[in-house]
Formats: sequence, C-alpha cells, structure tokens
Amino acid sequence: MTRPGILKNWFVIRRDLPPARRLALTCASFLFPLALWSFVSYVPWIWHPDVKIELSAEREGVTTVFTAGDHVSRAFFPEFVDAVRKENAAVLDSRENGTSASGARRKNQKLLRQLAPLASSHDWLPFAEAQNDAALYGIWRDIATGTKVPSTPPLTPENLQIVRENWKLLSASSSEFSLKLLPDQPLLKLIPQGKPANPIYLPAPDEVITTGLRDFSAEVPTGELTMSDRYKKSLQVIFMGFFWACVVGIPIGILCGVFDFFSKLFEPFVDFFRYMPAPTFSTLLVAVLLAGDAPKIALVFIGTVFQMVLVISKTTRLLDPSLLEAAQTLGAKPRQMVTHVVIPGILPNLYNDLRILLGWAWTWLVIAELIGVKSGLTEFIETQGRFRNFDRVFPIIILIGVTGFVMDQVLSALHGVLFPWSGNNGAPSQGIPRWARSTLRAITSRTTSNSVTPS
Amino acid sequence: MNSTIALPDYRDQSPEVSARFARLHQRPVALEVSGLTKHFRTPRGTVTALDDVSFSVHKRELLSVIGPSGCGKSTLVRILAGLETPSAGLLRVYGEPVSGPGPDRGMVFQGYTLFPWLTVKENVMFGPCMSGTSSFAASSEAREWIELVGLSKFENSYPHQLSGGMKQRVAIARALANQPRVLFMDEPFGALDAQTRCQMQSYLLEIWKNVDITIVFITHDLDEAVFLSDRILVLDANPGRVREIVEVPVPRPRDPEQLFNPSFMAVRQHIDRLIHPPGQGHKEAPVLRLAVADPDVV
Repeated sequence: MTRPGILKNWFVIRRDLPPARRLALTCASFLFPLALWSFVSYVPWIWHPDVKIELSAEREGVTTVFTAGDHVSRAFFPEFVDAVRKENAAVLDSRENGTSASGARRKNQKLLRQLAPLASSHDWLPFAEAQNDAALYGIWRDIATGTKVPSTPPLTPENLQIVRENWKLLSASSSEFSLKLLPDQPLLKLIPQGKPANPIYLPAPDEVITTGLRDFSAEVPTGELTMSDRYKKSLQVIFMGFFWACVVGIPIGILCGVFDFFSKLFEPFVDFFRYMPAPTFSTLLVAVLLAGDAPKIALVFIGTVFQMVLVISKTTRLLDPSLLEAAQTLGAKPRQMVTHVVIPGILPNLYNDLRILLGWAWTWLVIAELIGVKSGLTEFIETQGRFRNFDRVFPIIILIGVTGFVMDQVLSALHGVLFPWSGNNGAPSQGIPRWARSTLRAITSRTTSNSVTPS
Repeated sequence: MNSTIALPDYRDQSPEVSARFARLHQRPVALEVSGLTKHFRTPRGTVTALDDVSFSVHKRELLSVIGPSGCGKSTLVRILAGLETPSAGLLRVYGEPVSGPGPDRGMVFQGYTLFPWLTVKENVMFGPCMSGTSSFAASSEAREWIELVGLSKFENSYPHQLSGGMKQRVAIARALANQPRVLFMDEPFGALDAQTRCQMQSYLLEIWKNVDITIVFITHDLDEAVFLSDRILVLDANPGRVREIVEVPVPRPRDPEQLFNPSFMAVRQHIDRLIHPPGQGHKEAPVLRLAVADPDVV
C-alpha cells in the first residue's frame, strides 16, 4: 500500500520542511492549543467539572445560597435539584390534604425573584432592578400566558408548568403586585437549572474575548486608569528598567570580556549577586526609593543587569581572537581594537543577547508592579483575581504574551536588516512573512549603500 | 620505486641565477632573526618549539619556510609578527630591534580574518585609518590596492559574499595597504582548493613584482615553496631548528611550466628527502583477517 504524497516526508532527520509545510505547522502550533481550549470549553461533559447555575432556588433550612452565575460541582447539582423537587412535592401534598401551611407571604416574595436572572439576561429587566417585584410580577404573568418566551436559557417544561401553576394562584389573588395580596400558602419553587461549565479558573474562549474587549473599550470614571493607560505604564516600567540595565550592563560586560582586570574585578561579585533573587530587595527598594515607579524600575534593573554583565562578557569573549590579531598586525592600538574590532564584531550577538534579556525583564515586570503601590496591568490582574474574575484576568495575561512575542519577532526580523553581514548566525525569523523580510532588506540595502558611499 | 630520471645537483645554478643571488645578497637585510628560541610550558614539562633559529631575509626577497607538521612554522611566524613573545633571541627589521606587533610587519593568515562587518574597501582601509590617515585618502588608496588584486567590482561587497580565493586577495590587499616593510604569510593558500591555490600563487608573484615588499611565506606545500621562493628555509621538528636554507636554482620569472624543469625537480626532491628521510614512514600494512588477495592491486 502506498501512502499519498501529502503524508510523505514529514519526518526527515535534520532537514528543513518545504515552506508550505512549515507555515502549516507554525499555524498549527497556535491553533492546536486554541482548539484544545475550545474543545474542553464547548463540548459538554468532555471535562466540565462544574455546573454554572442559571436558575437558582433557596432551600428550607439550608443557609448556603447559590445565585445564578455560581458554579457548583457536577456531582452536587442533581442533589440540589432533587432537594427542591422534594420540597415542591411536600407543598403539593399538603395542598391536596388541605393542610396547606400559611404565613408564606414573605417567602413567596423571594420566590418571585427566582426569575430575576432570567429576566435580566433577556433585557426584560435591568440587572440593577433584580428586586423590582412589581416588574417581576408582570414577567411571571407574561411567561405563564406565553407572551414572553425565555430563550437564553429556555425554561424546562417542568419549570414552565410550575410557572403556570403559580400564576394560577397569583392571578387568583391579584393581577398586579402587592405584598399584602400575595397568596398566603406556599407557592412552588422553580427547579434549579444550569449548564455544564469549566471550572471558574478556565473561562471559555468567547468569555475571555468578550470580557477582554469590554475591559479595553470600557469608559472609566475620571481619576481611574483605562486599560491602555495601564498598558503604557507597564511598558514604561519595563523599558526604563531595561534601558538603565543596558546603560550600566553593556559597558561593564564588554570591559569584562576584553580585559581580565575588569573580569576578575566585577564578575565574581556579579556572579554571587545574581543568585540573590531580585524580589527579595523589593521592600528595601520601596523604603529607599519610596512609592511610585522608581522602585519598580529598580527591580527590573536589578533583575536584568547582573545577568546582562555575565552574558555580554561571555559574548565578547566569543569574538574570534584571530580578528584581534589581524587588527594588531595592522597597527591597531588597544583602544582602537575595542572600538573598531570588539564592539562592531560582537554587535549582532549582543543584539540577540539583549533580545533574550528583554524577555527576562518581562518576568520581572509582574513582580515589580506588585511592590509598593500596585500599578499597571498587574494591579488589574491582582484585583480581578481576588474577585475570582478570571475571565478578566486571561485577556491581560494573553496581552502580555502577545506583546513580548510580537516585540521579539520584530527585533529578530530587524537583526537581518541591521547586520546584513552576519550571515546566518542571527536569529531565526521564520515567523516573519517572506515579503516583509524582503521589503525590509530592500529598504535597508538602499540606505546602507547610500551611507557607505563616501563623498 | 627508483626515480629513473637523472636529475642535476640542486646546487647547480645557471650563470644568470647565480648572478641574481649574488645581487640579492648585496641588498640590505630586511629581516634578521638571531637565536630565536621558544619554550612552551605544558603540564607534562617544558616543550621546546623553536631552538636557536637564525636567518636573515634581504630586501624584496621571497623566503619560504617549510617543514614537517609540528615543526613550529606557525610559532615562528607568530613570533616574527609579534603575536607571541620569544623565550630568547632577537628580531631586527632593517637593523632596528622590534618586539610586539606593529604596522611595519604585515600578516596574512590562513583563515582570512577579514572583518565581516566591513566591506571589502573598508577592510582594506582599516590599517591606514588606524594610523590616522583621513578616510578620504585611505579610501582612494584602498581602491588602488583593490584594483591591484583585481577585485574592483567587489569593493562594496561584504566578506561573506566572496569566495575563499577572493577573501584571501582582500586580506593581501589589506596587509599591503598598510605598507609594511615585511609581509608574513602563514599558509595563506592552505584552505583553498588546488586550482584556486595555483592561481593565487601566480597572483602573488604578480603582486610581488609590482610592490616593494619582502615576503616570508610559511607553507607545508613543497611545490608551492619551490614555485614561489628565492630561498627555502627547511625546519626540523622537535625541536624546531634550521635544517638548511636552500637556494632555488629556478630562474625568474616563474611559470607553472617550470614544474617539470629538471632543476625544479632536483630541488624539490632534495627538500622532500630533508623533510621525509628515505626509509622512514613507509610501513607495511598489517594483513587483516578479511584481507582480499588481488594480483592487480598491489
């Protein structure tokens, strides 16, 4: 049996796949996790360990109250439903026996509010008016008479029956709401309804997208930060921290790589210092630099600069020593060797190092924003996480990821543009479409040829 | 197998050749090496790489240094270029003692060592710019040197866009642009393929003809040494000592046809015997269990 061509040659040791297949796999590497996420979120009971309650009920003698939107475990939900059914059965029993209890007026008022979540999800009632009993009374009537048909979620036939039963009693006493005119004997409770749901910590993709869009476009009261303000704030902290780390780290790193004197003077201590986690200095930094951005920038700085010195000194040492010898035989003096050979020679690798170190700086950012006065995107994550609004947390996490990824891809594409001479030891920039790369190259080749031609 | 062709003595020189050597010896001494010794300290004790190496090179002479591998050829040239310090001995350029690297002694490396971030022209400009020549003057000079090595079309290319032979031509131009008094070449054509190497040898002689430069050429290729040189310094290995300095009796200008010249072959054979003494290094291979007997393959 021969396999069709499309299945052949996917696994060849150390051989590049054709561009079309590479692109397909690149897409798949993003689509696969997304598909998995959608799969567990939308296919019922593949995983869904929870039930999200859409229609709740209070039980006699149980103090824990579930409201619509709450998650209960999948095992508990039928128990909950059965308990309410039993209570309804007891009510019906006593009604038939004519021993119906009285004094249930207050309870009945609460019972009417069972429909409030349903009403607000249909925009029949503003969310804030969940206790507007007069309006709810009308909704009971409309559903019972079929004027209004709930669709999100639809009522089960059982519940529809209950609504009608109750409305019979209600309409018998009054057509408009009046606490005094509510029936005195207990009404039937609506049976709880719910739908399969992910645990609260993994909202479904559509929830993440809608809340994300809502949060980013939301108007905020004056004095509070919009999401793009927070985003700018975060970027500002990371770039300031990284900038100062570069200002200090790059010269020291190069000096350490070139002169054994500086290497022995700085590197042992730097090597020791980098094992002290930057966050352990947070309280100290806040005490010294006070609230505001300074301690945050300092934390990103501390977290990055020591690694930077070591990485850059190593990169500097990797420069081909024969280039230095060649420069010596051409009469270059030590200072000229640093400025004319070492620095230009290591630039492409230095650039790549900085790209990787910028990625590290992002990890420090989250911690930096938590110290002192919380700020930026992390403050939002922290606050919403406390309220267990994980659907509002995920968009921020994804935003940070996308920012880092895009920045890295752009920088890696620029590598080829900035260092056309460095051949293939640059960064992999397969993520960039070919047309974009060739355009960039075209632009820069024009500018470099202009700048190189003298006089 | 015996060589059946009767070769002349390698010391026999035609009158014109001997007259040329006589004139050469009258010239000033460009490079004088006396008593050069180099010890390396290793964990297993001191190794003597060079032992009392002395020779001199006259102005505009082309001297090759040849020897078995590990005889310290590279160490010698690195000391001469000032990249390593000798344990003992003295080095004079036109009578002045020198130590450390300097622009008076240029070097062409086997590994090209072009600066990859500079274009061909900027590479050639490097030396003059280091010594403070204005970049405008250096640029126009560099153009001439690039023209000399025949790479005018590539003056704005980067090294990674050039072939091995072209890179080495740039390296030669770069060394010459600095106008050194002596040029050291450390197996410069060793990394090139055989055809390119032949071309480069002819190129080098062309350049040498047009430029006032004394060349010390390190090689392990016997034909290359004989083809290029006026004299050949043969080094012994372990420790590196001067075995003999051979005058090449082949007249100039040199031509690849001369490879079959009897005096060329005589001097070649003589040096070959110096480096690989007869009866050495010819061992019978042990007979293996799986050996195949084939009368046509012996």
